[in-house]
Amino acid sequence: MELIAVEKPASYPDKERGERLNQQLRDKAKELLERGAVECVIGYERATDGSSARPFFVYQPEEVDRLIFDQTCTHNLVKYLLNKKDKTTAVVVKPCDSRALNLLLNEKQIQRDKVFIVGVVCPGIVETGWNQVSQTLQGRCQRCRQHTPLVYDFLVGEPPAEEAPPAEAYADVAEIEAKPLAERQTFWDEQSKRCIRCYACRQVCPGCYCSECFVEQLQPPWVGIKIAPPENNMWQTIRAFHLAGRCSGCNECERVCPMDIPLSLLNRKLEKEVWELFEFQAGLSAETVPPFATFKKEETLGIGE
Amino acid sequence: MAVGYQPRIVGFLCNWCSYAGADLAGTSRISYPANIRVIRLPCSGRVDPMLIVKSFELGADGVLVSGCHPGECHYLEGNYHARRRFALLRSLLDYLGIEKERFQVEWVSASEGKRFSEVVSSFTGELARLGPRREA
Amino acid sequence: MTQTISRRNLLSWLGRLLEERLLIAPTHTTGPILFQPVSKIEDIVLDFDNTALSAKEWFFPATETLFWAETTDGRTELVPATVEREAVVFGIRPCDAKGLALVDKAFLAEPADTLYQQHRDKAVLVGLSCRKASPQCFCTSMGTAPNDPTHVDILLTEVEEDYIVQIVTEKGKALLPDNLLLESKVVPPPPPSPPVVSAEGIEEVMRQAFDSPYWSRLADRCVHCNLCAYVCPTCYCFDIRDYESKGKIERVRSWESCQSPGFTRQAGGYNPRASKGARLRQRFYHKLLYFPEDFGAIACAGCGRCVQVCPVNIDIREVIADIQTIGGRNVP
Repeated sequence: MELIAVEKPASYPDKERGERLNQQLRDKAKELLERGAVECVIGYERATDGSSARPFFVYQPEEVDRLIFDQTCTHNLVKYLLNKKDKTTAVVVKPCDSRALNLLLNEKQIQRDKVFIVGVVCPGIVETGWNQVSQTLQGRCQRCRQHTPLVYDFLVGEPPAEEAPPAEAYADVAEIEAKPLAERQTFWDEQSKRCIRCYACRQVCPGCYCSECFVEQLQPPWVGIKIAPPENNMWQTIRAFHLAGRCSGCNECERVCPMDIPLSLLNRKLEKEVWELFEFQAGLSAETVPPFATFKKEETLGIGE
Repeated sequence: MAVGYQPRIVGFLCNWCSYAGADLAGTSRISYPANIRVIRLPCSGRVDPMLIVKSFELGADGVLVSGCHPGECHYLEGNYHARRRFALLRSLLDYLGIEKERFQVEWVSASEGKRFSEVVSSFTGELARLGPRREA
Repeated sequence: MTQTISRRNLLSWLGRLLEERLLIAPTHTTGPILFQPVSKIEDIVLDFDNTALSAKEWFFPATETLFWAETTDGRTELVPATVEREAVVFGIRPCDAKGLALVDKAFLAEPADTLYQQHRDKAVLVGLSCRKASPQCFCTSMGTAPNDPTHVDILLTEVEEDYIVQIVTEKGKALLPDNLLLESKVVPPPPPSPPVVSAEGIEEVMRQAFDSPYWSRLADRCVHCNLCAYVCPTCYCFDIRDYESKGKIERVRSWESCQSPGFTRQAGGYNPRASKGARLRQRFYHKLLYFPEDFGAIACAGCGRCVQVCPVNIDIREVIADIQTIGGRNVP
């Protein structure tokens, strides 16, 4: 699949379209703030390295010119809505973020009438970090099947004339599945050895919003505070399991991990299984019954037969 | 494999069906390997996946979850939910390096004392064949 | 006249050291470059900017057992953990060494943390000067420099194929045999110039800015992920828990950070730093005001790891510059 070329600093592939999109975004934000429709617009602005992006909370119409949208805007801003439950907030969402939004709406964590969704047609986000903006599209974007958000109140940007075919969705998961047992064990042992339990993965994840995470429970101490492979294994396995059928694939967890642990290999394995077993994918709609909240009396799942 | 290896199995049995079935095996004087350590819960639907993963972390070589046959749950739906959860968990654990065969879910009713003993015997044999989960 | 060591002699010296001691050096992992014990010299990475985690983790480990306690026949025996092995930490940058010196102020003040003290006493620091500064560095604004020998036992500065050697302490002198060193006329290269941030007078300005709405505004985007504290060479908060297994109790200490939502939650549920703004503010106040008040130095070594690793670009240099402005000092 041909990667979209990016010029440094990363800008929308078609420069003119990019500038139009940014102007549309700023105009809409300004309008929403000026008429008091929202208390805050959550979007992106340029970071201190001059090339990557960071979340930006606009409260005053005069500040809207700092808003940007381009191929460095990797963050999933939906999580911030959980801190703003009592206020009306506008949020800029990419298609993957819109799936996280659907999840939170579905799980009744946010109220639809308290959110103004500014959807952005997304050309794909590049591998980006502080002072490390690259020309390569992130893996999740290469696999992406939706360039237009699934839910929005206002759409910014023009849907592409032609969608390039996405990369194979589970090639890397299948590679791990195919490894012999001992190699799989070694692979995952290597990953859990490096985990320092910073919980950055949890903190950026829109699906992780429990007021008391299982890992913080003292009674019983499911995981405890020791930072060591057995406990790290438990942490990663259970977090992935708690996201089964809920993960929107935004991949922020993997991006923020300081130890480069390939978390998407876990989350997408479960996404694949949930699809194969229950024909369900997270975040496609705000009105849906999650796969673990329901069942079929007759179903063959390879368990207990 | 270590000589004298005895697989350690943790069994989560539901109170109404499988635990009663295990009890029946006992009162009927049916022998089965003592490798299983039984934990009684109200329902297989109450078995939190964390319990399974924790059991493996603490050194279990195999974990068995047993409940009422689907359609016969004392709480009507618990085992349907359990079935979905454990289908997924089994797959995930296998992916992570804990073989599918080490995590079994079997439906055993209160009258199935003999079946319970067969389940445990065959599971123990399977685990003896697979060896300990972690070389000590 | 300067003393130098050839790369070949350096590596063979390290090879001998690794037979007697624990040699910790930057190495490749399946993830980032980290300080790890090496079993063969070929594993040492000499060409790197900085490790993902600071050298702090070898003195104040992410997880450490403090002691074991066992009761037999009514008598309880307490077995404290001890550090047995002599170690050499090779390849530590001056900023990380400064970080250790700052942690020393807290951990070695009476009563000293005995485990940390043992780690420090048993380790020799062989530092490596920085030949280039990275965009996230700002060590010269934090009281150290790319070629600062103050906090290491030996400082090496790479110059072409050799290294200039500065023996700083007796510990360093005892470790490196004279016969490996050559007298040379080579001039130490000028150190690189990292970006600068004006932290002068920051304490006073911080005192004024405590109630500013700046902190909640900044915290809007903070996700409270602990990353800044964990990669920081000077952060040292921890949690302690007791674990019981078969009658034996193990007391474990692990890294924690003031950014965790539950860090200040008290029995009964009250949490004085429940809000995001309060927690984020605390980190900056500890570094820029409270630690200087208690120990006389800003708790920051200017390594820039927090800047690199923060998922939402909370940049301490930007914060310092903003606070200077808020405090009315308007320094560039």
